[in-house]
Amino acid sequence: MIRTTLAGLRAHRLRLLLTALAITLGAGFIAGTFVLTDSLQAGVTRQVAASADRVDVAVLPRAGHGKPGEAELAAIRRTAGVAEAHGLVRGPAALVGKDGKVAGDTPTTGVSVVTGRLGRTAMTTGRAPAADGEIALDENTARTRGFAAGDTATVLDSADRPHTFQVVGLFDVGVDQELAYTGAVGFTPDAARRMTGEKGFAEIDVAAAGVPPERLKAAVTAALGGAGHRVLTGDELAAELARVNGGNLEFLTLALLMFGLVAMLVATLVIYNTFNILIAQRTREMALLRCLGATRRQVFGSVLLESLVVGVLSSLAGLAAGYGLGAGALRAGTAFGLQSAPVDATLTPRTIAVALAVGVLVTVAAALLPARAATRVAPIAALRTQSEEREFRAGAARLVIAGLFLLAGAGVTVAGTRMPPGEQALFVVMGGGVLIFCGVLVLGPVLVRPLSAVAGWAPARLFGVPGRLAVDNSRRHPKRSATTTIALTIGVTLMTTLSVITATTRATYTAQLDEQFPIDYLVSGQFGRADAGGALPREIAATLRARPELASVTQVRGAEARIGDAKGRVVTYHGPYTVDLIQGGMRDFTAGGALIGSNTADSLKLKPGDTLTVTTAKAGVQRLKVAGVYESGKALVSGVVVPEGAFETYFGRLDDDRVLVGARDGVTAGDSRKAVEAAVAAYPTAKVVSTTEVRGEFDQALDTALAVVTGLLGLAILISLIGIANTLSLSVHERTRESALLRALGLTRRQLKRMLSVEALVLGLIGAIVGVVLGTAYGWAASRTIATDVLFRLPVGQVALFVVLSGLAGVLAAVLPARRAARASVVGALAAD
Amino acid sequence: MTVTGEASGPRTGPATVAVAAQGVTKVYGTGDAAVHALRGVDVGFHTGAFTAIMGPSGSGKSTLMHCLAGLDTVTSGQVRIGDTEITGLSDNELTLLRRDRVGFVFQSFNLLPTLTAEQNIRLPLEIAGRQADQELLDRVIRTVGLRDRLGHRPAELSGGQQQRVAVARALATKPQVIFADEPTGNLDSRSGAEVLAFLRTSVRELGQTIVMVTHDPVAASYADRVVFLRDGLLVTEVLRPTAQTVLDTLMKLEA
Ligand SMILES: Nc1ncnc2c1ncn2[C@@H]1O[C@H](COP(=O)(O)OP(=O)(O)OP(=O)(O)O)[C@@H](O)[C@H]1O
Ligand SMILES: [Mg+2]
Repeated sequence: MIRTTLAGLRAHRLRLLLTALAITLGAGFIAGTFVLTDSLQAGVTRQVAASADRVDVAVLPRAGHGKPGEAELAAIRRTAGVAEAHGLVRGPAALVGKDGKVAGDTPTTGVSVVTGRLGRTAMTTGRAPAADGEIALDENTARTRGFAAGDTATVLDSADRPHTFQVVGLFDVGVDQELAYTGAVGFTPDAARRMTGEKGFAEIDVAAAGVPPERLKAAVTAALGGAGHRVLTGDELAAELARVNGGNLEFLTLALLMFGLVAMLVATLVIYNTFNILIAQRTREMALLRCLGATRRQVFGSVLLESLVVGVLSSLAGLAAGYGLGAGALRAGTAFGLQSAPVDATLTPRTIAVALAVGVLVTVAAALLPARAATRVAPIAALRTQSEEREFRAGAARLVIAGLFLLAGAGVTVAGTRMPPGEQALFVVMGGGVLIFCGVLVLGPVLVRPLSAVAGWAPARLFGVPGRLAVDNSRRHPKRSATTTIALTIGVTLMTTLSVITATTRATYTAQLDEQFPIDYLVSGQFGRADAGGALPREIAATLRARPELASVTQVRGAEARIGDAKGRVVTYHGPYTVDLIQGGMRDFTAGGALIGSNTADSLKLKPGDTLTVTTAKAGVQRLKVAGVYESGKALVSGVVVPEGAFETYFGRLDDDRVLVGARDGVTAGDSRKAVEAAVAAYPTAKVVSTTEVRGEFDQALDTALAVVTGLLGLAILISLIGIANTLSLSVHERTRESALLRALGLTRRQLKRMLSVEALVLGLIGAIVGVVLGTAYGWAASRTIATDVLFRLPVGQVALFVVLSGLAGVLAAVLPARRAARASVVGALAAD
Repeated sequence: MTVTGEASGPRTGPATVAVAAQGVTKVYGTGDAAVHALRGVDVGFHTGAFTAIMGPSGSGKSTLMHCLAGLDTVTSGQVRIGDTEITGLSDNELTLLRRDRVGFVFQSFNLLPTLTAEQNIRLPLEIAGRQADQELLDRVIRTVGLRDRLGHRPAELSGGQQQRVAVARALATKPQVIFADEPTGNLDSRSGAEVLAFLRTSVRELGQTIVMVTHDPVAASYADRVVFLRDGLLVTEVLRPTAQTVLDTLMKLEA
């Protein structure tokens, strides 16, 4: 029996090739994901180890406690067994770019560069700063901001005073995500303390004088007494750094695996369909085996064995492909500077196990039902000459099951959209989506007939006889067509869902922006400044008010305070701005009154007229009367809003956080922009953004996200197209004699090819239609879980494009099968038994 | 319908030639593996005549028919359908010729399973984009005697009925010649007789030219003339055949 199976496999090599390709792609993507993330993780671990290797013991502040300072450092230096100890300084020190503005949205981080035995900063160019007037920059910041060793650069100290330095070298931040994000400026330890104004150390590194790390750790812990700092050995430090900085790799793995799973799901459908068709075509072969005495079990086993061989071979190919894919991604990452050091691709036993297991399991599982069908072939079937076409009838059971799935799915989905927006609602909606999908899967064969009538309406009229025959053929095996098209439906559904969500988010955001920012420019400082006061001197607003090009200037400032029992923010504004209220009014908005956001009103159960306590350092406990409530997230301000005079009593005279600027009507964008920039030119911390720019950046971010996700979903679509090609080529094979008959009756080669193309077109369109309908519904449902008042948008152009592209892709998938069908000789095909 | 061994007389008047072969040879494969299926066949088929081709298995009957119909190319020699020399035509020209001037009936697998009987009959006309000659179509369908089964799919028809639909399809385009390769090979004698009678009627009443390959002396006796092939050569022919004369000739050939 095994020999028969293997002979069968060899005979159907070509027919199984496309199936194998589907598995290879899916398993390859999963293997590639693991190769990529494992390698990156290995790179992180290696870099961390190299850096932490120099340290024997490290002292770190415990979260929520103070940092170790000079006293602790001195105590450690006095401890027996300590050869050397250095405190690492770390704090904001804003680098000023060549345009005279601080670089980036957050200030760069100033760090102390230690040299010698405990030197952990990896200099890549030049040398470490050795004198007060010298700095080193991290490579990425130097590149993006256009600095090189030898340049002079300005850095702001903690009071925003500019200091000039000489850049003497560049360094690599290694795996430190925080430094990679903000950019880093390296100083000598003294300069670092002066510039950042930090009193404590982010870390104290200790080198041992011939003492084992564990003993030194105990000694240092004792020396620090009960200060509550964490003391780690070098190895423990390495492990911690690897854990902290490898965290986002896990997210990357999960995200990529999601796409891998979708691809595998599609591959499962493709494989299931292929085996089903192969079994149907080999009915006589199976029957003959049964006639010759093969048991049902043997027939079942032989089909499963076949799938096992296909699964193993294609998973192995997938593993190889995945390794290549991962290695390629790593090389591309290095080339584009996404990771600093080149990393070798690693193939772990886990990767091998997962790729093989997934590939083989999916293949064998997909072949189970077809194998069972094979056992049902009666021996008598071998004696029939022509395998008759069986009419598909929608059984009551099928309708009932599909109905239950659809009802449950619709119910769950609607429930999800009724829930308060959030992750939970999204998961409920996704669950509903899975149920609906199951329903469609079961109902598919029933849907094929009406849908092919819809999708085939135009082709049947446009392409004459070949067109009509093609539409007939597309619904000839409803189950087969349904499985083929549903594979495509998965990809199209997800794409449509995403484009609906993107369009909806874009529309909603734009509308909110228009509502919230009835302004043209926003002047703001960098985020992440530690102190309470704003970053913008009040003179900026004064200068802006003096410009004739500008019509309105509003200053917004705020400070931390205790609101009720929790930490919060109190803000005020000065200028021609009114807060839109949803409750209460501005009448009580006088000293002792306040406006609160709807979030605060909900959580503290406050309404206009109620009293709210605000505690500030300067004014102590204040009882404020709620004058009105604005909708949180919809106003230009956030927090507890108090009148300007009251604010100064509570906090003193603070600088501005933001200045909102409106241009005068009739002034060109270029002129008003110039006026704003001229007014803030003297203040390096003041950054100007126009609301059009904000919108543009947001649009771009959305487009990028959509493009990336679409690219990843492309794999699933590709596999489903392989499915269409596969089904068609198997059908072509099955209909060899039929095609020959048509050719004998006068159908030209071109017409025969067109017939198959149209069939593929119809299949593609059916898949796309279902996908677009489901995707639109789920795009809507999912955007309801983001926020309640979204502006639903259906990107009609994009969705229409999906439908057209699916049709075209189908036609493309038909090219090879059609060519094969057309090439067959008429006589040969008719003679074939 | 009665089955008689009587052959009807040859047609009167000046007979034109519908299909003619001249020195046709056909070699499959090359070198040692070469099979000479036809070794130089000269034969003509008159318009409005019903001719049967007979011969032992492997004698080249099907091959000759395929070459005559333009389904296969000849190795050497010439084939004419009407005034058209078909050797040397391109695949596309052959396809057009087939669809406009030739009809086919095969031993098995004659109908498209997805189409109804009527749709199958009209199929060649539709492929050609030709208007059906409704009167002819009605007559054909009446002669086939399947008026009440026109809406059925092939799977719902008996073998004989299917074959009659196939003949009707071949007739509907009014081709210059119909080629039938063992049209009764898969049928029992009763169904076979129906089909053969129908073929003969269409020759008598519609003036159709038919060339039929068969193994069955009774089937051959429906024809006006029987030509005999052996080893790729035309060896003899019988006019106004009866089952007995055909059988005798066959015995002589195989001896
Ligand atoms: N495609 C082919 N390749 C090689 N040889 C072939 C091919 N087709 C036919 N032959 C050979 O040509 C010869 C004639 O075959 P053909 O099919 O014409 O015989 P036939 O008279 O129709 O026989 P039967 O009565 O069995 O149908 C045979 O020897 C056959 O083996
Ligand atoms: Mg034959």
